[in-house]
Amino acid sequence: MTPYADFLYFGVSLYALLPAALLGWLKRFTRIWLVFATLGMLAVQYWQGGSGLENKFWLMLGYATLQWLNARLFLKLRAQKVRRPAFYFALLVALLPLLAGKFFPGDTLVFVGLSYITFRSLDVLFGIQDGGIQALPLAQYSQFLLFFATISSGPIDRFQRFGQDWRRERTSAEWLRDIDGGIQRIFTGFLYKFILAALIKQYWLDAVSGAELGQTIAYMYAYTFYLFFDFAGYSAFAVGFAYFFGIHPPENFRRPFAARDLRDFWNRWHISLSFWFRDFVYNRFVFASVKGKWFKNRFTAAYLGYFLSMGLMGVWHGLAAHYIVYGLYHGALLFLTDWLNRRYRNNRLLNSDSLFWRGASIFLTFHLVSFGFLIFSGRLF
Amino acid sequence: MNISEIVLTELEKVTETDEVRRNLDLMLFDEKILDSFGSMELMVALSEQFGLEITPGQVEREQWTSPRKIIAYVQERLKEIH
Repeated sequence: MTPYADFLYFGVSLYALLPAALLGWLKRFTRIWLVFATLGMLAVQYWQGGSGLENKFWLMLGYATLQWLNARLFLKLRAQKVRRPAFYFALLVALLPLLAGKFFPGDTLVFVGLSYITFRSLDVLFGIQDGGIQALPLAQYSQFLLFFATISSGPIDRFQRFGQDWRRERTSAEWLRDIDGGIQRIFTGFLYKFILAALIKQYWLDAVSGAELGQTIAYMYAYTFYLFFDFAGYSAFAVGFAYFFGIHPPENFRRPFAARDLRDFWNRWHISLSFWFRDFVYNRFVFASVKGKWFKNRFTAAYLGYFLSMGLMGVWHGLAAHYIVYGLYHGALLFLTDWLNRRYRNNRLLNSDSLFWRGASIFLTFHLVSFGFLIFSGRLF
Repeated sequence: MNISEIVLTELEKVTETDEVRRNLDLMLFDEKILDSFGSMELMVALSEQFGLEITPGQVEREQWTSPRKIIAYVQERLKEIH
């Protein structure tokens, strides 16, 4: 059963949500209920029959066990002298299943959510390496990795942030706010995904099929809006479900089409993903290169960092040419944005806050972004 | 030179503006004076100046939002050593 895709799923999930709400009200909510609910919901989502790894449920649990052992081993080794090599080995083990899934044909090694779980297991490894994570309680780790509400497509939480929610005891007022926030988000999800995205798909996206330029442009707009309402709707469900359990995952969208430039856009679109790349790829690459004095020009590191993190982001979606070009396209746009900002830093016209200029920059950003989604859609090549 | 003077000098170098010196409560990220890139440069510079190991994994963005906060962060880290 695909999460958040049909009403049967929502019906089944009531068995997880309603007891969570009730137990919270009675002040009897414990973390054990989160573990039970996740186990039950994952069985519903992944069970395909069969006792081996051809059954996605076992494949998923096997993957989680591997990552758990990997993280535990690294936590032990970090205290020893072999910290560097141990870190790289742990990173490799965390990435291997995703790489195997991408390169081997068919989907024998793939399960829904694999790539998102990979982000979370990598976050734990980085946290151990930096010294921020010093213990890995099994229940907390398993829920961080596998929590049913966010397992399939995020938002990508962080272990240390998740830990704060995990340990927090809720007051009655907080419980009420959680239920309120949860219901609001779930209804936003219905509006976005099952009404707006569904209407856009049926009457707009599926209606443009010709290859002429006009049709392609119409497709670009339709696809951009469809993508937003579908994914923002999904994210609203995921965050809303999590609220019932006292977990507040980071929000994924913040009015992305009001962005004034490309950097602003990535602070508003699929935020948990772009922040992940910012923290773990861009920042670390820039830090290492500045520290090691790799480049003569100060800004070379920043520019290369954009191509590196956005390129990886593209490849993460898949190995098809349009994903790779999509990543490089955004790398190039961020490079240009940064370069222009630096070059025209003191230009009064370009930095004016007039209504016209604001509107123009939002209009331009929206179209650059939409063209990116047209590449991403695979319709061009 | 005292700690805050060194921090402000490095911050001024990275951000290329003396505004950071005039207003210690300047919201560096909100005002687009400091970004991720500048943040990383500053970490390397302050690590070298103070003989500390300041890495991207240790610093939360909320700890670096104003010149005053960055100074406080460095003071705190130095206290841990001594």
